[in-house]
Amino acid sequence: MVQETLLAAWRGWEKFAGKSSVRTWLVGILKHKIIDHIRKEIRDRKLTEAVESDPTSSLFNADGSWVDAPTSWKENPEELCGSEQFQRILEGCVGKLPEKQQIVFRMRELTGEDSETICNTAEISSTHLHVLIHRARLALRTCLEHNWFRGKR
Amino acid sequence: MNHFCREASQLQSNEFDRELTLSERFRLRLHLLICGACRNYADNLVLLNKFFYSLRKQTEADENITLPENKRERIQTVLKKASASNH
Repeated sequence: MVQETLLAAWRGWEKFAGKSSVRTWLVGILKHKIIDHIRKEIRDRKLTEAVESDPTSSLFNADGSWVDAPTSWKENPEELCGSEQFQRILEGCVGKLPEKQQIVFRMRELTGEDSETICNTAEISSTHLHVLIHRARLALRTCLEHNWFRGKR
Repeated sequence: MNHFCREASQLQSNEFDRELTLSERFRLRLHLLICGACRNYADNLVLLNKFFYSLRKQTEADENITLPENKRERIQTVLKKASASNH
């Protein structure tokens, strides 16, 4: 990906008007390359709603109550940022999400893209995005509860 | 008795991404008053949201580490030479 970016930068060097710093320009190209890559990935695998699992069915009882009620987490978010162990567990939990959830969740929470960009890239509606993110949050919360927070008490 | 937790979890997640309607907000707030598990879920989501925010700030700070001036100039010279010899 970085190679492709540098190649594209090499070819487009004359088009670079010097309106921004070289760094901003290169990061801009890289961003487009990543988005292209994700688009292709989504098309290739023909990810459809049907293959995505719905975690809400296993996390709630038939009457709509929690199977496993969420507990109170006492940790400090800034401190968690400094914990490599937590980040490893988090990465493991995110990695277990169904693919489409994973893609939109990473774009939203890790790279901080806005909804419009995510919807355009993943070619989904905003309603669909909200459903995917909701499912991802539910699954991630459960995974972190089991693998991190529960052991901390 | 029918619990509202399942719908509440969806609304709580949505609240980060869109504005809830008046009736959604009302139903959610009312439910949170009586449901400790859903209040915990709300706090969990806020904590995760803050965590991801800090993580992004950290990543941005890491990205802003710039090259030393002399190295940057060297790279720019090489690139300029290369593009000049392309003509």
